[in-house]
Amino acid sequence: MITTILIHWLLTLLFAPFFIGVITKVKAVIAGKIGPSLFQSYYDLARLSQKRSVYSSGVTWVFRLAPMIVLAAVLMVSLMIPIGIFKAPVQFAGDILVLVYLFALVRFFMIAGSLDTGFSMEGMGASREAFFSCLTEVTLFMNLLALGLLAHSISLSEMIGANYPVSWNLVGPSMLLIVASLFIVLLAENCRIPIDDPDTHLELTMIHEVMLLEHSGVDLAFMMYASAIKFLIFSSILVPIIIPVKSLDPFINLAIYLGGMTGLAVLVGCVETSMARLRLDRVRHLLLISFALAFFGLIVTWWRA
Amino acid sequence: MTTWIDASCILIVFFSLSILATYRIVGMIQIYALQSFVLSLMPLFLHAGNVSSRDIVLSLGTMVLKAGVVPFILFWAIRRISMRSEIKPIIGLGSSIVCGALLVAGAFWVSMSLRIPGKAAADLGLPCSLAVLLLGFMIMVTRTRAVTQVLGYLIIENGIFLFALSLFDSMPTLIEMGILLDIFVAVFIMAIVLNHINEEFEQGPDPEKQVKPREVF
Amino acid sequence: MLILITLIPFLCGLSVLLPVTRMFRIRLFVIVSFVHSISVASFWCSRPTPEFQGYLVLDALGLLFLSVISFLFLSVSVFMLGYFKHEKRNSRTFTACLMFLLCTMTVVTLSNHMGLLWVAVEATTLFSAPLISFHRTRESLEATWKYLLICSVGIALALMGTFFLAIAAHQVDSLMLPAVLSGASALSVNWLKISVIFLLVGYGCKLGLAPMHSWKPEAYGRSTGMTSVLMAGGLTQCAFLALVRVSQICFKTGLGQFYGSILILTGILSLIVAAVFVLGEKNLKRSFAYSSIEHMGILVLGLGLGGVGIFGALFHVINNALAKVVMFLTAGSVAQKYGSANSSDVRGVIHLYPVTGILLIIALFGGTGMFPFATFHSELMIINAAVMSKRYLLAGTIVLSLGIIFIGLAKIVLGFVYGRSTEPVLPKRENAIMNAVIALAAALLVVLGIWMPAPLTRVISDAAALIGSTP
Repeated sequence: MITTILIHWLLTLLFAPFFIGVITKVKAVIAGKIGPSLFQSYYDLARLSQKRSVYSSGVTWVFRLAPMIVLAAVLMVSLMIPIGIFKAPVQFAGDILVLVYLFALVRFFMIAGSLDTGFSMEGMGASREAFFSCLTEVTLFMNLLALGLLAHSISLSEMIGANYPVSWNLVGPSMLLIVASLFIVLLAENCRIPIDDPDTHLELTMIHEVMLLEHSGVDLAFMMYASAIKFLIFSSILVPIIIPVKSLDPFINLAIYLGGMTGLAVLVGCVETSMARLRLDRVRHLLLISFALAFFGLIVTWWRA
Repeated sequence: MTTWIDASCILIVFFSLSILATYRIVGMIQIYALQSFVLSLMPLFLHAGNVSSRDIVLSLGTMVLKAGVVPFILFWAIRRISMRSEIKPIIGLGSSIVCGALLVAGAFWVSMSLRIPGKAAADLGLPCSLAVLLLGFMIMVTRTRAVTQVLGYLIIENGIFLFALSLFDSMPTLIEMGILLDIFVAVFIMAIVLNHINEEFEQGPDPEKQVKPREVF
Repeated sequence: MLILITLIPFLCGLSVLLPVTRMFRIRLFVIVSFVHSISVASFWCSRPTPEFQGYLVLDALGLLFLSVISFLFLSVSVFMLGYFKHEKRNSRTFTACLMFLLCTMTVVTLSNHMGLLWVAVEATTLFSAPLISFHRTRESLEATWKYLLICSVGIALALMGTFFLAIAAHQVDSLMLPAVLSGASALSVNWLKISVIFLLVGYGCKLGLAPMHSWKPEAYGRSTGMTSVLMAGGLTQCAFLALVRVSQICFKTGLGQFYGSILILTGILSLIVAAVFVLGEKNLKRSFAYSSIEHMGILVLGLGLGGVGIFGALFHVINNALAKVVMFLTAGSVAQKYGSANSSDVRGVIHLYPVTGILLIIALFGGTGMFPFATFHSELMIINAAVMSKRYLLAGTIVLSLGIIFIGLAKIVLGFVYGRSTEPVLPKRENAIMNAVIALAAALLVVLGIWMPAPLTRVISDAAALIGSTP
């Protein structure tokens, strides 16, 4: 048990920064630049973890605690997600609720930590994050419910491992809705264009990044690692649904999984380069559309199932 | 073939929802044209792959009229309006989308107790057409520009058409063509009236009566 | 023959789109209406055979409505001869639409297929819309827009209802009226109920029944008198014919009670709404529009009450058309003479135009159903039907509403007729043609009130039998 958990964490920590690197690379290549190496995220994390965290005199223990709790919670979530051929070490009926609430915990401490700094820009980012996550959380839940209806189970592992070739045949169109809606959720939760721009350094337009402004050193590394793992988690939910192929050979399965993950990262990179960041009040509409998609998908799935 | 029919039904509802979420008139008309295009493909899927000449005629007729001529007429009617002009809905886009989603749920709920003879209970035709009908009503009521009201009417019409396809065989072709023609003439006359309205209300306020040109037009 | 009387107006309508003189168009319209009336009159002697694969059939109901429409068009066309002497606007679209309207209304009365009926009713909506915006002022354009949108949506709902009917008639597999009626026992009752509701709301919009009436005052108030006559007497009654067709199916399938109760509800609501709104009205045409809402309510009530009410309703169809000719043509002629139909602009008509003034008073009494006029009899029949079915409260409400509407109309009409006269915009000369048409219609209304010809009684009885009411 302990070994499986440790292997799972090891894999998670190993793979997570890679896909962020893929996105950055794709963006650079499309823009006609060479771009940083695929492993730049690893270097960044290594560099940051060697530095000491600097705290301003006004912050309390909330700010110091936030990065640790964020990373810990995300690592907990990762235990419920099957990664490639490795089954999830933790699985039980209703673990989707735990997943959603752990993400809420992450968000709570992030917001609390950023408010603790007393910096007005951070407060702005926190309020935006809180508002948008309200919308994505409901959407995520709707999607998970629809997937649960298809898999006849409310355990995440069984939902992801469900027999999707059959579902695609039976309710293909509504699967399409769910996938589209999940993809928007993935973009929103991971602060990607068109919802949020991870590269911007203008506080007024930032949502997620502005909350990390005061973090430094190891704390910042923790935060960045947590977002990378979050991306891995969401992609790992989405990829098996989009590519429901399963073979008997575990290595082919692993290859399909890794290929799918990289493909998704490339897709996100393409979306990021081809779209402009939405005006802040339009972000709400996009998220509501994804909600409508999820809701509609749920209705159709329920109608059919 | 059922998958294709389902996909079309869902796409048509989705397009209606996205019209609710669109804030530019030009975009709304384009989405309407797309919706009509998907709708016009549906007769080809209906008979499990056996495409008869009647299906093709109906499909082509719908495509030319609804996806081609009608959007063209609408573009003609709004040629004076700036391409970027935005609508000012009575209720905001966000709440419109939520209301729209609820209306879709309502349509499915109503359809639970209705069953079309000769169709499977899981058939998506009835709930989706009811949903499109309701969404069309909503667009008509909450979007106050004259063009958007016409669009709402056209979406209602599309919903009815979607429903009509599910009982395709009990209507003579002649009547169906009559219905199509009527819709075409309706849009034509609406566009002409719209044009008159634009002309009349663009001459500035009437000096005698001091009626302000209303936001509506 | 049936195809011919629909095609002639259509072709002539196309031909007036060519560049010809203004008066030629109107004379052509008179000729077309005349030919139409002659052929319809010949149908009273010998009923034509079904044509066009049985889609076009003239039954007793159709004959009744067709005659009414034909008469309306004839009187309006003759009236136009006088009206267009003082009218500057081009008559091209107007006359073309009038002739298309004649064609489509004829199809409504002849159609024997519920789908074709819908197509024709929708077409009447479309061709009447340009008539409203004849003067193309802001107000008339707004009225046109309102009418077009409300009626189009309403008629779209009626289409949905027609499709529901097709589902209900799944086993019959046809929407031909005789097929549906003969296979009435095989209809699915649940679907039929939904279908009836949609059809009632849809055609009710066209009829201007109470919750869907808001286009009526606008449209009638802003259009010319001729248009209002054709809409109040022809168009709305065509929609009423559609409701009658639906009731044929309902009575056959035992849904008579269900349908009747909805009809009674909307009918009485229309009466109450008309009574409430007519009181504060300052515009002659608009107040006549409320009177039209009232008459539609009465028609629907008669149909819903069944028994003698149906006979009354069918008789009222004729009387309503005649009364509308008198009311709206007089209002139109007053509005043309004074350039307005507002009570603030027009007073003392009787001093300058004695004949028009008298006609206005006749219009008041004819339109509100006073004694020597036939409207009195038909309304009495319908109230009688309410009393006979022991709905005393309903009968009381009807009488009360009619009384209030009389007061409201009398207030505004008498204000127009008497008082110190205001200055008209046209020369102070009566137009003989216009007055003759109105007087003829008024005379007919009185004659029908005193003596009913035997053939007419027979046709109305036949038509009532077709509906097959059970009280």
